[in-house]
Amino acid sequence: MAFKEFKEFPVESSSLKEIRNFAREVLAKEPIFESSMDDIVLALAEAAQNIVKHAYNGQPTNDTMKVDINFENNQLTIELFDKGSPAIPQNIKPRKIDDIKAGGLGTFFIGQIMDEVIFKISTTDWVNHLTLKKNY
Amino acid sequence: MSYKITEEGNIATVHLDGEIDMDVTEKAKEVIMPLIEAGKEVHLNLKEVQYMDSSGISVLIESHQKAAELGNKVILKEISKSVLKVIMMAKLEQILIIE
Repeated sequence: MAFKEFKEFPVESSSLKEIRNFAREVLAKEPIFESSMDDIVLALAEAAQNIVKHAYNGQPTNDTMKVDINFENNQLTIELFDKGSPAIPQNIKPRKIDDIKAGGLGTFFIGQIMDEVIFKISTTDWVNHLTLKKNY
Repeated sequence: MSYKITEEGNIATVHLDGEIDMDVTEKAKEVIMPLIEAGKEVHLNLKEVQYMDSSGISVLIESHQKAAELGNKVILKEISKSVLKVIMMAKLEQILIIE
């Protein structure tokens, strides 16, 4: 089975629950995600949280962010697009393993869960483009 | 997220319920921190928490650290399977007090 679905959400913290529910709904279509669904939803939600928190610095905006979920050839690809401040890749750092603080924990989770994390400045209408991949 | 607080002697038990993410962390801190600052031993019952992200974990870390600063402790009780998995992914099971 292959599928591709996308949805746009307002860039605000209250969208995070909607994003999780969107992901759960999409992933539920394919039994292969049954055991990893919670992890995938967490990784996606952490990436979306980073957009609200860092790309927009927690400031109110009328912008939206786009979430694409694509499954093909046993590879799950999740893409997030936003129009916030361009991220500086060298500043996107997971926390050190023995560092007892919350900062960077979301990025650490994403790295633990996904097989591949690719960040680039978008060439389309968006600014930041994050791709998360997991192989099944 | 919803919550209920019960107090017995110097122990305040906070029963959290629902999903704890960035959207509700301030509310969670507003509930927990005053109890810690009042010198209570705080028990966080996480049985009914179905989802917690890094923001929720940050509340657990900050609560633990604040209580330690004041010579007290925050104990995590009846942690749901999904929250325990996230705590373990963060490698915090040896740092936070879990019963």
